[in-house]
Amino acid sequence: MRSNKGFYGDYGGQFVPEILIPALDELERAYNDFNGNPGLMDEFYRYLGEYAGRPTPIYHAKNLSEKYGFDCYLKREDLLHTGAHKINNTIGQAMLARHMKKKRIIAETGAGQHGVATATAAALFGLRCRIYMGSVDVERQMPNVRKMKLLGAEVIPVEEGLRTLKDAISASLRDWVTNVEDTHYLLGTVAGPHPFPEMVASFHAITGREALEHFQGMGFMPDTVVACVGGGSNAMGIFQGFLDMPLVKLVGVEAGGRSLGPGDNAATLTQGTRGIFQGALSYLLQDAYCQVQDVHSVSAGLDYAGIGPQHSYLKDAGRVVYTSVFDDRALNAFHELTRLEGIIPALEPSHALAWALDNAGGLGGTRVLVNLSGRGDKDLDIIEKQGGTQ
Amino acid sequence: MKGIYLAGGYPDIDTFTESARAVVASGFDFIEIGIPFNDPIADGPVIARAIYDSISSGVTPAQVMKCIAGFNHAQIKKYAMTYANIIYSFGIRKFSEEMAGYLDGVIIPDLPNRMARLFYDSGFEIPIVPFATLETRESDIKMMNESASDIIYFVGLRGITGARSDFTSPELLDKIGMIKKNTEKKVIIGFGIKNSIDAGKAMAIADGYVVGTEAVLRQNDPAELKKYLGSLRQ
Repeated sequence: MRSNKGFYGDYGGQFVPEILIPALDELERAYNDFNGNPGLMDEFYRYLGEYAGRPTPIYHAKNLSEKYGFDCYLKREDLLHTGAHKINNTIGQAMLARHMKKKRIIAETGAGQHGVATATAAALFGLRCRIYMGSVDVERQMPNVRKMKLLGAEVIPVEEGLRTLKDAISASLRDWVTNVEDTHYLLGTVAGPHPFPEMVASFHAITGREALEHFQGMGFMPDTVVACVGGGSNAMGIFQGFLDMPLVKLVGVEAGGRSLGPGDNAATLTQGTRGIFQGALSYLLQDAYCQVQDVHSVSAGLDYAGIGPQHSYLKDAGRVVYTSVFDDRALNAFHELTRLEGIIPALEPSHALAWALDNAGGLGGTRVLVNLSGRGDKDLDIIEKQGGTQ
Repeated sequence: MKGIYLAGGYPDIDTFTESARAVVASGFDFIEIGIPFNDPIADGPVIARAIYDSISSGVTPAQVMKCIAGFNHAQIKKYAMTYANIIYSFGIRKFSEEMAGYLDGVIIPDLPNRMARLFYDSGFEIPIVPFATLETRESDIKMMNESASDIIYFVGLRGITGARSDFTSPELLDKIGMIKKNTEKKVIIGFGIKNSIDAGKAMAIADGYVVGTEAVLRQNDPAELKKYLGSLRQ
């Protein structure tokens, strides 16, 4: 999804310290070079195929479909190397870092999926790697922390603020400001300053292209495509395949958390207002005094007060319907998929599935494609704490 | 142009007001007042902590704006330092209308020079202070000169507030030289000044400086701050 000089309608921009502007310009040039270079693009797609495991299958979940009365299809991004869609973007940006001759990459992570995918790409391309992770997330996503360390990354627990994703991004920006000469900031979602939203969305566009081609091969289209939305990268990935097909309904599902009261959720697009946060003008959860609202979600990957500017644009344009589901409904969907299909999903896409299951009445007889953006082994501790195996 | 930064409303409105009065009376040329935002990405641990503390004790942007309006304007120049969301979400035009009479400029660390247009186009009439950095290119300076601000804020290091600048590094001297050659505005060094020795070095190469972290460290004790301000001016 192309921007107009870094903006999507009113949203986007480059709201970062001046010292980063030359680095963003350099990144934009490198990204344009990369896009226009068939050799580099071939290498990128070769890695996505031979290394990451693309294309991912689309599975028609028969048992769920029978029980809920609609045709449920799952885009199996959970089968990718490192267990989530994040690897598309980290391979792309690690190649860009190499292209820009940067020797060091830094990244934020919430659930740890982006951290693991970054540490993996760093190992693959021989880059030094540091991951910033809120100390609350370090605690609740320990398996991923162990993986990052094994892969050779340094994991820095961030003790500021609520000690989650927002604080990890702030810490990464501070590191980047300090080390901008030799460091690339490998941002993990479609948020942040231009060109990150456009670039990250383009690295994930393959998810939507594969899904579109799959359904074209079947001779029909899904009626609805559903994805969870935290910062918004997996949703942008799959939505881009269907944006110009008005008959395909697109649904983005945010974390409703404990309730829709302030501080209890991370439902930025449905509960937020316009604001400027971590590099972009977009929707933002903020209080009456213009301060960033505390957020909560059972899922560390959705626990974010901001949202990528493309989603704000798509919301206002009416092309995507954004909604939210509560923690307990996501947990219910997690167990349903696990028991009925033998697939353990991450808690993030469990939100997308939960929306479909909870709206089964209205979806009866239609085809619904859910982007299963990651697998759930990282979440087992949380699941056990939330009432175990049901 | 010698200036002092204080974190607005820290540790509480009364103590802050007293500290700010000490700055106003100290003979410094300008005071830079931080309006608190809880994602201060350009600030190091000392200033970030002060901001978090003031917000959690209930200080609001509107309260700090009211304090700024209350200081004697004739005696000292005043700049507000805050993040883009505070002005944007308060209302760009509304902030401008309420504060234009009290401020010589605003310093917005997450509003790079090329994004300032967005604020001006939305009715912002207070000068937005342009930034120069170690990464500034000659082609960037044209945009800085378009600002109505009387100063350019030079960030003399790669880093956040509270880090140390090296005022003898050839890179820094070259950069300041290049900037001064291309502008009539006063070049103020922000970031990295801790004591009178640093201040002397800054004055030797630029038109002024601003001290932040070291002042904020003493902000909860106005008497101690007064002593420090005296030591800086020696």
